[in-house]
Amino acid sequence: MPEQSYEPDRAIAGTGAGGAMDLAASEAETLERTPGGPQGTGPQAKPRSLWSDAWRDLRRNPVFLVSGLVIVFLVVISLWPSLIASGSPLQCDLAKAQEGSQPGAPFGYDGQGCNVYTRTVYGARTSVTVGVCATLGVALLGSALGGLAGFFGGAWDSFLSRITDVFFAIPVVLGGLVLLSVVTSNTVWPVIGFMVLLGWPQISRIARGSVITAKQNDYVQAARALGASHSRILLRHIAPNAVAPVIVVATIALGTYISLEATLSYLGVGLKPPNVSWGIDISAASPYIRNAPHALLWPSGALAVTVLAFIMLGDAVRDALDPKLR
Amino acid sequence: MGRYVVRRLLQMIPVFVGATLLIFLMVNVMGDPIAGLCGERACDPATAAQLKKEFGLDKPLWQQYLTYMGNVFTGDFGTAFNGQPVTELMATAFPVTIRLTIVAILFEIVIGITLGVVTGMRRGRPVDTGVLLATLVVISVPTFVTGLLLQLLLGVQWHWIQPSVSQAATFGELIVPGLVLAAVSLAYVTRLTRTSIAENKRSDYVRTAVAKGLPRHRVITRHLLRNSLIPVVTFIGADIGALMGGAIVTERIFNIHGVGYQLYQGILRQNTQTVVGFVTVLVLVFLVANLLVDLLYAVLDPRIRYA
Amino acid sequence: MLLEVRDLHVEFRTRDGIAKAVNGVSYGVDAGETLAVLGESGSGKSVTAQAVMGILDMPPGRITGGEILFRDQDLLTLKEEDRRKVRGAGMAMIFQDALSSLNPVLSVGDQLGEMFVVHRGMSKKDARARAVELMDRVRIPGAAQRVRDYPHQFSGGMRQRIMIAMALALEPALIIADEPTTALDVTVQAQVMDLLAELQREYAMALILITHDLGVVADVADRIAVMYAGRIVESAPVHDIYKAPAHPYTRGLLDSIPRLDHKGRELYAIKGLPPNLMDIPPGCAFHPRCPMARDVCRTDPPPLYEVSEARASACHFWQECLHG
Repeated sequence: MPEQSYEPDRAIAGTGAGGAMDLAASEAETLERTPGGPQGTGPQAKPRSLWSDAWRDLRRNPVFLVSGLVIVFLVVISLWPSLIASGSPLQCDLAKAQEGSQPGAPFGYDGQGCNVYTRTVYGARTSVTVGVCATLGVALLGSALGGLAGFFGGAWDSFLSRITDVFFAIPVVLGGLVLLSVVTSNTVWPVIGFMVLLGWPQISRIARGSVITAKQNDYVQAARALGASHSRILLRHIAPNAVAPVIVVATIALGTYISLEATLSYLGVGLKPPNVSWGIDISAASPYIRNAPHALLWPSGALAVTVLAFIMLGDAVRDALDPKLR
Repeated sequence: MGRYVVRRLLQMIPVFVGATLLIFLMVNVMGDPIAGLCGERACDPATAAQLKKEFGLDKPLWQQYLTYMGNVFTGDFGTAFNGQPVTELMATAFPVTIRLTIVAILFEIVIGITLGVVTGMRRGRPVDTGVLLATLVVISVPTFVTGLLLQLLLGVQWHWIQPSVSQAATFGELIVPGLVLAAVSLAYVTRLTRTSIAENKRSDYVRTAVAKGLPRHRVITRHLLRNSLIPVVTFIGADIGALMGGAIVTERIFNIHGVGYQLYQGILRQNTQTVVGFVTVLVLVFLVANLLVDLLYAVLDPRIRYA
Repeated sequence: MLLEVRDLHVEFRTRDGIAKAVNGVSYGVDAGETLAVLGESGSGKSVTAQAVMGILDMPPGRITGGEILFRDQDLLTLKEEDRRKVRGAGMAMIFQDALSSLNPVLSVGDQLGEMFVVHRGMSKKDARARAVELMDRVRIPGAAQRVRDYPHQFSGGMRQRIMIAMALALEPALIIADEPTTALDVTVQAQVMDLLAELQREYAMALILITHDLGVVADVADRIAVMYAGRIVESAPVHDIYKAPAHPYTRGLLDSIPRLDHKGRELYAIKGLPPNLMDIPPGCAFHPRCPMARDVCRTDPPPLYEVSEARASACHFWQECLHG
């Protein structure tokens, strides 16, 4: 081993190769690593798991705390929007069209005379629903397909790789336009379905890659040599290692799905009125951009903050989970 | 090297077939391919049957696909909703979008790489943290919001630019739209460059270069940058295809009559030929861009060239 | 003295605290002499060498005290530009892992020739010719053709020869070789080591050989400095040390070499682990692992006792060790 043990970056990056020999330790906790590698910084240093280490980091990270709070707030108002907004988002009064901020309508009224504040609050539900459902679908489908391909390799792997290539070759917004323009159902489900259809290859690639990496670890080879079954190796030794990158990418992807839903709704193929969505509102407000910019700015701001919160959360989690970046 | 090119070309074929087939199916199975052909109203059954026969739509799908692809490779993309050949639409639309993409790529290269190098060399300093947060914000704001906001500010409020681009769509008019189109990728380029620089800065061969007594600027340009920019260059190359396909939003906001505009019209009017034709070309552009990137990668990194 | 390190202190600031990697190291090398610096990973031997070369990562590293005199000039007070000119021309370094230490995207000819272009202002063509000459010198077959090849196209042994050629390029007065053979196959190790020793004699260079392998040292070195927890614990001419070590740590190292005449007996191993550099034991840093440790070792750090004229030991009981 080179002698950089005291330098945390190199030391921890180096343990992947050098520190994986101890089968007993890896049996106990596959993600465990001792700081400083095998010749380490000494017996006093307690072994820490990747997750507890990451959690310790995250708790002190202001980016994580702020984005976490924003997300909790978003989830609460999408479950119970009436907590902070009275009235219905569909109740519009053309007489009030384009009016500015006033009591009962702090964000003013849009071109149709709808209360921008109420609509912005109710719009969160759509975004969060689409984001969460699409991410769950993509993560489950992608990691199952990619994980199996990475684990078993062979023909199934090559086939799946080609399929993911095909999906990657289709521009997302374009695919959405083509596919969703022919759908007549005006609910969130076609939008979510489309995202899962075009989104799974991204996760599948990540999962495949990390499973292949994990598979090559010495302790997995050892478990295999000891006759552990496929399912045991996959679930107990590989999955815990492969799941971290999937979580990170999925968190960030959640933000981009919210953004994509708004984009598709803006283009008129995602959700359509009477659904309430920030994308619809932004699209509806853009003709009135000169006289009523507030109707554009509030939903845009809400959308940007929401997406930012998820991307920042994902970023913070990645930094915490990726020892190489320390 | 020659064998590598051939192998990559061969790998491209199934992806091209798969992607175009997928689009073809989406349009033909889920939509009604003759819906837009009788003007605004629905076709009466007799005309519909006549049209279907004329376009070969009564044949099995795989035959239709083969016929279509056969036509495409002889340069026949069919007819658009206004009776113009699709190829004519392409001839006016693609130059505009290509100009827009060039502007966007230039932004990515100039601003993205510069910011990435600056922050990568100063990891953890205030500049780094600031730029990093800024990139997150840029990534988070959807393109159509960035576009509308810039249009509102620069076009409507400050009158720096025309809110919508003229038919000519000159490079000058495309600067702001190009920036909007590039925004998210630009942020990614910055982050990728930063990570790559920071990682390579600690590498053994950079340490060797320092130990050789090379001047700092030589260590940075010849050893650090040369290696760090390999992934960045490949990202930017692959982005060409993605930008052209994603230009639809930017083109809509600034009323640019490019590929996205024509596609959008085609989708609104349910004109199958336009949609499938444009998407086919875009997929091809994407694949060729990726192929070129792979070749570029091999040129830049001898480990791949001789593998 | 060509190079003299005096009371050098280096620490690393990490997230978990300050790691004291080098704690008052002093050693010297004369022109043409070979000094072997011996120690486990984490003993500070490489960090000291990196500080001498001026290639320490700073931050997180920090030199907190001491002097590094090269030709009677303190390198630590030099301006960076002057310091740079010493690197490569005055002293050069050979690293352990040649594959990662050579730039993967430049041909070996470019990397060798660069030395002449930068330090000697040669044209690219002349530099290329000198690169071929150097590759011949380190006995790389077909040098004229292989000069265009990239590092990954060479075998491990050949790559390490290229590292050696690079270090030799400007005929520096001092070469620091940091575990130059550790990454190589055993059969290749001896070839590379012999080549290095031969070239050193030929060019009359001083060599600092950093290693954890006592076996390598015996044939090559004139003097040995043994390091533990960032300090020199024993320094002596090579034969004296093999005859009778004056520090229990050195004794432990010697006893843990497999020997033919001890066949069948259990191999000795120093018990315990190297110290945590964030929390070095008080007194003598070696006391938790020392078979001879007494109360005084737990409280008083031993000074470097003079054993004989050319010999020193940092053990309170060096006499006992030497004669027992």
